[in-house]
Amino acid sequence: MNNLKLNYTSLSFLPILVSIPLGYQLLTNIHFGGFELFEEFLISAFNPKINNEIIITVINRLNETILISFLSWLVSIIFGAILGILSSKIFYKIFNIPNFFYSIIKGFLTIIRSIHEVVWGILLMQIYGINFSIGIIAICIPYIAVNSKVFAEQLENIEHKSFESINQINAPKFSSLLTLIWNPIITTFKNFGIYQLECSIRSTVILGLFGIGGIGTSIFLSFQTLNFRELWTYLWSLAIFIIVSGSIFKKIKFNKINKILSIFFIAVFFITILFSFSYFLYYIFNNNFENFNYFSSLFKSSSDLGLLYFLKLILETIILSLLSTGIAISLPPLLIGIFNNNTSKILIKIFAFLLRLIPTPVILLTLLTFNNPSLSLAALTLGLHNAGITSKLLFTNLDSQDKKKYIAMKSLGISKKTSWLLGLFSQQAKSYLAYCAYRSDIIIRETAIVGVIGSVGLGWQLRESLSSFAWQEVILVLIAYSSIAIVGELINGKIKNSLT
Amino acid sequence: MNNTILELKNISYKYKNNLILNKVNLKINSGEKIALLGKSGSGKTTLISVLNGTIKPTQGEVKLFNKSFDELDRKQKRKITTIWQDLRLIEDLSAEQNVNCGLLAENNFYFAIKNLLNICSFNKAHKYMQLCRLHNSIYDKKIRKLSGGQKQRVAIARSLIQGAHILLADEPFNNLDPKLITTIKNLLLENVDKNNTKKSPKTTLVSLHRLDFLNDFDKVIGIRDGKIFFNIKRTNLKQLHLDKIY
Repeated sequence: MNNLKLNYTSLSFLPILVSIPLGYQLLTNIHFGGFELFEEFLISAFNPKINNEIIITVINRLNETILISFLSWLVSIIFGAILGILSSKIFYKIFNIPNFFYSIIKGFLTIIRSIHEVVWGILLMQIYGINFSIGIIAICIPYIAVNSKVFAEQLENIEHKSFESINQINAPKFSSLLTLIWNPIITTFKNFGIYQLECSIRSTVILGLFGIGGIGTSIFLSFQTLNFRELWTYLWSLAIFIIVSGSIFKKIKFNKINKILSIFFIAVFFITILFSFSYFLYYIFNNNFENFNYFSSLFKSSSDLGLLYFLKLILETIILSLLSTGIAISLPPLLIGIFNNNTSKILIKIFAFLLRLIPTPVILLTLLTFNNPSLSLAALTLGLHNAGITSKLLFTNLDSQDKKKYIAMKSLGISKKTSWLLGLFSQQAKSYLAYCAYRSDIIIRETAIVGVIGSVGLGWQLRESLSSFAWQEVILVLIAYSSIAIVGELINGKIKNSLT
Repeated sequence: MNNTILELKNISYKYKNNLILNKVNLKINSGEKIALLGKSGSGKTTLISVLNGTIKPTQGEVKLFNKSFDELDRKQKRKITTIWQDLRLIEDLSAEQNVNCGLLAENNFYFAIKNLLNICSFNKAHKYMQLCRLHNSIYDKKIRKLSGGQKQRVAIARSLIQGAHILLADEPFNNLDPKLITTIKNLLLENVDKNNTKKSPKTTLVSLHRLDFLNDFDKVIGIRDGKIFFNIKRTNLKQLHLDKIY
């Protein structure tokens, strides 16, 4: 009898086993009250509302989305780069600063990063109220920390010999630092910056669902009023915007930067820093200053959270992450492998695009029309949304891969599916799993979004505690949530290292 | 007259329980051209790293201009330059940007920005690159796209442009073809070239394997197993000395 061998290929498919308990719970929770609504939701996709009034609303809302996402991207990429430098070893080597400060900055950024922008958003909204700038700040806080990690990782790759060589020239410290970090920073910006801008757009849309503004708010309002035709107008507009902006981003080349453009970039860099600091100071010391009194209530409020209940919430969040990750890893290769023909591939690509496009809260609310709120439903939502993202990567890698082995296997009479599995996918499995390990970091953080809406885990408790101004509970939930994310990141980091 | 500018006193260096340098004493006088001979792994590179202050010895004292490295200011430290055996160029920068790195010490931060943005005048860099027989078609090429010989000459140009007083070169003729070797050797050892456009460092210590070059040096140092076996005038060098280290 042949035993199942655990290799990268089989490990890519095994997590689909999570669909057994998940499917069981979903089936037991099914109800037929909302099937008509779901049907209407699907039909409306092909019949969106189009008139002058809605087109003007779409344009205005998209403008808001662009403004929030662009400003938050600009600030987060610049401060991310600065903090990336401050959290890289090369900085401490050049300036002979004790590594103690390195650990402090790194630890601080890890905590900031572990909390999703939606959590920052609802937290800040509770303190400051709904405000345009809250959206920017909520995105900037975790994004600065995420960007700083990416920049710092690139800077850690600078060879010690290059450092020694520059150090031996005995140039001013800042000149040495700049010369060493310049290319890694620029390369990271080129490779990662545009991707981050896309992420910023998505985050703005999701925060919009919570009332920040932009097209997300319109999506949420039309969903609340069950105006599905209007909802699809917003969703298709968003899709067109993402496709158009994506193709514009792809065309942006930074290879030929002339003198004027260089000076422009430097000017933008310093103006953004100056503006951000001024705004920050204005925000703290102007009309919102008195809001900080809320923090004093932190120490007065009491918590009604029982230990067992709290542990249950933590466990739910962990299970939610695991189930979602399982779906996100295994569903794309399974679908592509089974439906391995050109028509199916196009359909899967469209389906994956829609899963990426439709914000997770909207997917969840749609599924709630015929299923009771449960952990499985939240996991399915998060898993499907992330499967949309992992499948995009898988398709890109498979399309760019050399197909000689696949063709050779097919010519030997081996079936198309087996040839695909052994001749194509098996070569991608390792790097695919490494990316999925990175993705599961994000999934852990995103549990808050589905938790808030799907009555699951710490996300739900956070919303409850915030609504009742139980600040001590909020802090407890945030600590637990952040700890899960940090532990998850450490575990995923080990997995990633073993895969790369 | 005692004109010692670089001095090693009883230097030992241990790495992972291996004694790489063993009680080395050495004096280098201003204006000397010194050849450092020894088998691969004999400690030549470590000796050069100790001389330029990159490696701190486990034991002993290094003095540059009669001061220990910790006492020297940045301006004094600049008087020493090194051509490393592994070149240590910044792979992502272009050839001319790498050569300009040699000028970072004598310029301010603004120069570093201009160099990275490719908007500074490269006249000086071009002059040294031409001296090293680097064709202008490679000036803006990234280091990783250059051949071994081209990289070698970029590293040499970067060292020479620093205008240092002391040059330490670790096997600088590797990767060079025979015709270029003579050109580069003259560049490193002649104080002023025939066009009077470039001034070489006055004091030079070059580690090398080619014994036919020894005539260009004043002194020869032989090293084996981390110990200096001889430190003599080139005119006194005999086969017997070479037999001790090879």
